[in-house]
Amino acid sequence: MSTTEAAAAPADSEPRDERIAFRGPMQRLLISPEIGAIVGATLVWALFWATGQQFGEASATLSWLDAAAPFGIMSVAVALLMIGGEFDLSSGVIVGSTGIFVGIFAQRFMGNGGPLWMAIVLAFLAAACIGWINGWLVNRTGLPSFIVTLATFFVLRGVNLVFSKRLMNKVIVENINGETIKDIAGFQWWLSDKWNYKAASFGWRNQVFFGLVLAGAVLLVAGLLEQSLKRRTDRPPAWAPVGTVVGLAATVLGIVLAHTTDGVGANLLAGLVGLLGAVVATVSWAAWRYETHGPTGTFSLTGRALLLTIVGAACVLLAWLVTRPLKLDDRRQLLSIPPHAIKVLIGAVAAVVAGGLALRYALGKLLRARSGGQTVGALAVPRVAVITAIAAGLGLTTVIVFLQMATVQGFRAIVLIGLGVLGIVLLLVAKGAARKTSTRAQLLPGLIAVVAIVGYAVVLRADSHAVRFRAGLFTVLLLIAAAVLANTIIELHQVKRVAFETRPDRVGRGLASLGVFLAGGGLALRLLFSGQNIYRWIVWWLVITAVAAFVLSRTKWGNWIFAVGGNKEAARAVGVPADQVKVGLFVMVSLLGCLVGVMTALRFGSVTAAAGVGKEFEYIIGAVVGGCLMTGGYGSVIGASVGAMIAPITLNGIPLSKWNSDNRFIFLGVVLLAAVLVNQKIRKKAQEAR
Amino acid sequence: MSALLELENISKYFGNVTALEGISTQVEAGSVTCVLGDNGAGKSTFIKILSGLHAPSGGEYRIDGVPVHFASPRDARAAGIATVYQDLAMAPLMSVWRNFFLGSEPGRGGWFDTNWAKATAKAEMAKMGIDVRDIDQPVGTLSGGERQSVAIARAVYFGARVLILDEPTSALGVRQSGVVLKYIRAAAERGLGVIFITHNPHHAYPVGDRFLLLKRGRSLGDYAKSEISIDELTRLMAGGAELEALQHELQRR
Repeated sequence: MSTTEAAAAPADSEPRDERIAFRGPMQRLLISPEIGAIVGATLVWALFWATGQQFGEASATLSWLDAAAPFGIMSVAVALLMIGGEFDLSSGVIVGSTGIFVGIFAQRFMGNGGPLWMAIVLAFLAAACIGWINGWLVNRTGLPSFIVTLATFFVLRGVNLVFSKRLMNKVIVENINGETIKDIAGFQWWLSDKWNYKAASFGWRNQVFFGLVLAGAVLLVAGLLEQSLKRRTDRPPAWAPVGTVVGLAATVLGIVLAHTTDGVGANLLAGLVGLLGAVVATVSWAAWRYETHGPTGTFSLTGRALLLTIVGAACVLLAWLVTRPLKLDDRRQLLSIPPHAIKVLIGAVAAVVAGGLALRYALGKLLRARSGGQTVGALAVPRVAVITAIAAGLGLTTVIVFLQMATVQGFRAIVLIGLGVLGIVLLLVAKGAARKTSTRAQLLPGLIAVVAIVGYAVVLRADSHAVRFRAGLFTVLLLIAAAVLANTIIELHQVKRVAFETRPDRVGRGLASLGVFLAGGGLALRLLFSGQNIYRWIVWWLVITAVAAFVLSRTKWGNWIFAVGGNKEAARAVGVPADQVKVGLFVMVSLLGCLVGVMTALRFGSVTAAAGVGKEFEYIIGAVVGGCLMTGGYGSVIGASVGAMIAPITLNGIPLSKWNSDNRFIFLGVVLLAAVLVNQKIRKKAQEAR
Repeated sequence: MSALLELENISKYFGNVTALEGISTQVEAGSVTCVLGDNGAGKSTFIKILSGLHAPSGGEYRIDGVPVHFASPRDARAAGIATVYQDLAMAPLMSVWRNFFLGSEPGRGGWFDTNWAKATAKAEMAKMGIDVRDIDQPVGTLSGGERQSVAIARAVYFGARVLILDEPTSALGVRQSGVVLKYIRAAAERGLGVIFITHNPHHAYPVGDRFLLLKRGRSLGDYAKSEISIDELTRLMAGGAELEALQHELQRR
């Protein structure tokens, strides 16, 4: 009997629609819009964390957070607007305009000693007007907002240039923050970075951090189990409570040991204790609270699952093998072919490709002529050969260009992280595929994945530049391994829930959210008390993201924003003030642009006339990576906020990893594309699965 | 005792074009009045007058026996007349419950009480006999019939007394049409007066209590179910010359 039958049989107490399958917490996460951004940012962050010398330290974290804050604020604003179905191309330039406005107004119009606060208030008013004009024009004319705001963009850009040249005789406005401007302390306090929050680190910082993260993880796991498993009604086995407590204790012990000891042997031992403890705790808890049944199906792996398992295992193995001969202190290019040879090689490749294309064209002509439009089977062979030759030529060129550009270290990092992570992901996918037919079959890919992750952890640990984070990285990887192992065992003998139940779903969601909140709080605490400066706009960014997320999901205005972006006529038909919502969104974008502009001006003291130009696309990219549909009606501000982190993480991480920083834009382009593709792919997959 | 909604000699002229001329019918609470007509018969104008988008040029429009003059669809809605248009007023990417309460979000101030909204939307749909397993799924993933039924349930929930359905079955397959017809009946059984606009007598006859036939803006007759058979209805709908072609088509089925 297959699992699906087994699972479906007991749940027929109420009539159900066979077309809609129950979605577990993981599936629900996968179809959420922000998944691409979260996965992308996490992977990029993990890459630099593993390779960069100080990347995980508080100072580096705060430095990329500082760079990300203005982007984050604006990406959130642009995301809201995009969900509402519109674009604002003037969102970048308004950041510069408002800064210039504050500078010129305070210095020229009010003479020396003019009050800064008045300039700032007027800047906000002016920004609101610009936003209102954008929105009004879009509503009134029915033109695409792309065009309307492009016009605003050019006008503002021109105004910036004209005013700064005429009034300041330069294309830059300076001394905005000088002694020449009087101000009310409150404005400086809120908007500039003169005040830096700097708390000394305290003694128990690390312990509190680990405590919070551990508690968060426990709650998260409990929440996820509550959402995906079925409560048991009979008496649980006697070993279950004991196992839970003992397992938890062992986990704590393992983490403590890993952090107080050093050396491979001790760490490995500590890791093993922690890993096994976590697994025992989870499995016992699941057996204690949730229904069990015997394993079903056979052990045999077939088809896609088998293929994925083999490829996945090979990837992890390859990642390890390839990095063996490459030394950590090797600073050379991967391949240094002399220029002359390169010329010859590229010439040869170009000849092959050009010749191949010509031949392909000729063959096609010939074929059509001979068969009168029908393809002839016998001629397929030369055709395939020609296509292969072209593909090989192009591929060879790519490889050569890549090898010529990449350093040994870059290549090493890409192979080690990329191939390793890919292999593990493939193994997990194989496990999922095998689970569909039999709970026994998923055991093999599951166990291989556990071994691969543990092996990978050991390799990375011995390998990493980031000496201070060895224990941390090691622990994280071991925890992932533990999660996979626990999941494998639970899936072997536990009944998965297939029906919606309001209460456990809500309890589970609550627990999981609380867990994430606690872990995030621990992380924030660790950063906050690191003795480093925290720039104020990071706080603004967090607050704005939280407020926007709340408005979007829990207020009627959020509902209206989704509706005017998704189907404006429908929204209007049921009484949503669609035009006002759109104007409000444009005004909101301009106001937040003004906020960022004023903060930038006060922080750096000068604004060039070209400030902010081109940034609007980066804000839009942040929103799109964060899962907002360009056509409106769908998206997430948390995704946009996370999406805006990817570029700053990359730009800060590359120098710390000692890679050639000239590659940063290539890297960025690839990462952004990948994040959007992941978004699209996963959403499609998850939509199909339901 | 007067009917819930009554029309007497309603006419509508656009300049020198006569869109409707002398239309009379009535809708009782708990019954279904079907308005049948081919393309260009004046069905759209008829709906627009009922839902307050157009004012009639002549005749009387009464609710509970009292003549009414609607200045806008908002007035009609306030009087309890809800219209479910063919191109449903829904945002396809939003979840069922978000669509259900769109424009009338429950909660104080700006707060949207989502838990209550989810539970209520599910319960209200269940009352209509609609089982939406996952209230969180986007409306765009529902089938056409299910989408119609969400719109009907929404209109019923928000206190509609008269429900106007504009060709709800025209874009649907056979089974889906059956589902929607079932909900039309369910709405009538909950005490609403339903006006069901269609061009398909085979959809109208099983659910209707009263049939108003329109042709080129004029009434071909207003019948109670006891006064007319389905064949008669079909014949009137098609009209003499076109009948043969239609019968040919029907026989092929």
